[in-house]
Amino acid sequence: MGRSDEELVEACQAGETSAFDVLVARWEDRIRGAAYRFLGSEEEARDVAQEAFLKAYRGLGGFKREARFSSWLYQIATNLCRDRLRRRRTRGTLSLEALEETGPVITDPRPGAHERLQQLDIGRVVRRAVEALPEEQRVVVILKEYQELTFLEIAQALDVPLSTVKTRLYRGLGQLRLRLEREGMREAAPLPATAP
Amino acid sequence: MDCERVGDDGLQADKMDVLYGEADTAARARVDAHLSGCAPCREEMGELRAVRRELGAWRLPASQPSFTPRGLVLPRWLAAAALLLVGLGAALGAAGYASLRRTLVAQEARAADLERRHREEIRALEASLARRPAAPLDSAALLARLDARIDERFRAGEARQVERLDTRLAGWEERADAQRRVDMARVAASLSYLDGRHGQQLARTNELMGYVLETSAQKR
Repeated sequence: MGRSDEELVEACQAGETSAFDVLVARWEDRIRGAAYRFLGSEEEARDVAQEAFLKAYRGLGGFKREARFSSWLYQIATNLCRDRLRRRRTRGTLSLEALEETGPVITDPRPGAHERLQQLDIGRVVRRAVEALPEEQRVVVILKEYQELTFLEIAQALDVPLSTVKTRLYRGLGQLRLRLEREGMREAAPLPATAP
Repeated sequence: MDCERVGDDGLQADKMDVLYGEADTAARARVDAHLSGCAPCREEMGELRAVRRELGAWRLPASQPSFTPRGLVLPRWLAAAALLLVGLGAALGAAGYASLRRTLVAQEARAADLERRHREEIRALEASLARRPAAPLDSAALLARLDARIDERFRAGEARQVERLDTRLAGWEERADAQRRVDMARVAASLSYLDGRHGQQLARTNELMGYVLETSAQKR
């Protein structure tokens, strides 16, 4: 049985730098996956993951262990992703993958575009629906649905109250439900009234 | 008909807990109680479960990050050349990796052997230190031992000095005896010479006396 994250963090803080390699091996894929879902670019996701681990390593001395290591790591990665998204908005740029995936589908005015939309696989539809969520909701949906963090871990990672996490998730799922129905994923169902 | 508790944050939070399996008994009971009397919320929970299932369709790409955007069609010759290059690169890389790995393994083995020997030496030193009794420092005994050693050295030095003097005296005695024998021989030789001279003188005197007597006898 391997050591827990907390034991490895303690070992790192005591000078056993190799313990950090174990943490990286344990969390790299998940952090990269989360970053990919935020940014839609594998290359950027890899960069974010590397940067997040570098920041974590540098900040390990000041890590108080009040939160779980994974929550802290997700917090770093989420902030890095948000920075990148902000820069992207400022520069008005999109990743190549995002252009390839979303551009033709949304903006292509040629005949047959609708048919192509019908042929898109469910995964792409879901991806676009998630990407279309407001950032606050999208972060929570990704951390909960794809990274399988607990509500408490998400609250720690985002530094928001637990109730806020649940509210954002509830609203995000409601938005997704609407969008997926709009995309023709399934038959539209009558919706209950949502909060203003 | 809408739910009577639209906008109830507490109910929404409970629903999320139930939907993701994090609800405690009380929260589950609250949600169950509400759903049993609220058809729109029952339907909503069913829809949200369906949404969750659909979200699972978005999977991460299995491939490693690629610098070629997906959907770009390469000419066949270019694809073949790229494949060939990649293959060549992979082969070279594999050979290099194998060589590097062998070197690293050998270095690791040497380092491990060195470390093992150092550890053995350290253990042996530790054992020898552990075996050696820790004697209390006795300054009086130390001084007594020091005095004894100084006396011993002094006596040894004295003995060597006496021996050297004896040897020197013996030499001098030997040389004096030899000189004395030489001097005695010289005296003996001188006396013999004097004896010889005296005999000759006596003989000459006797001869002169004989001549005088003979001459006086002739005159008379």
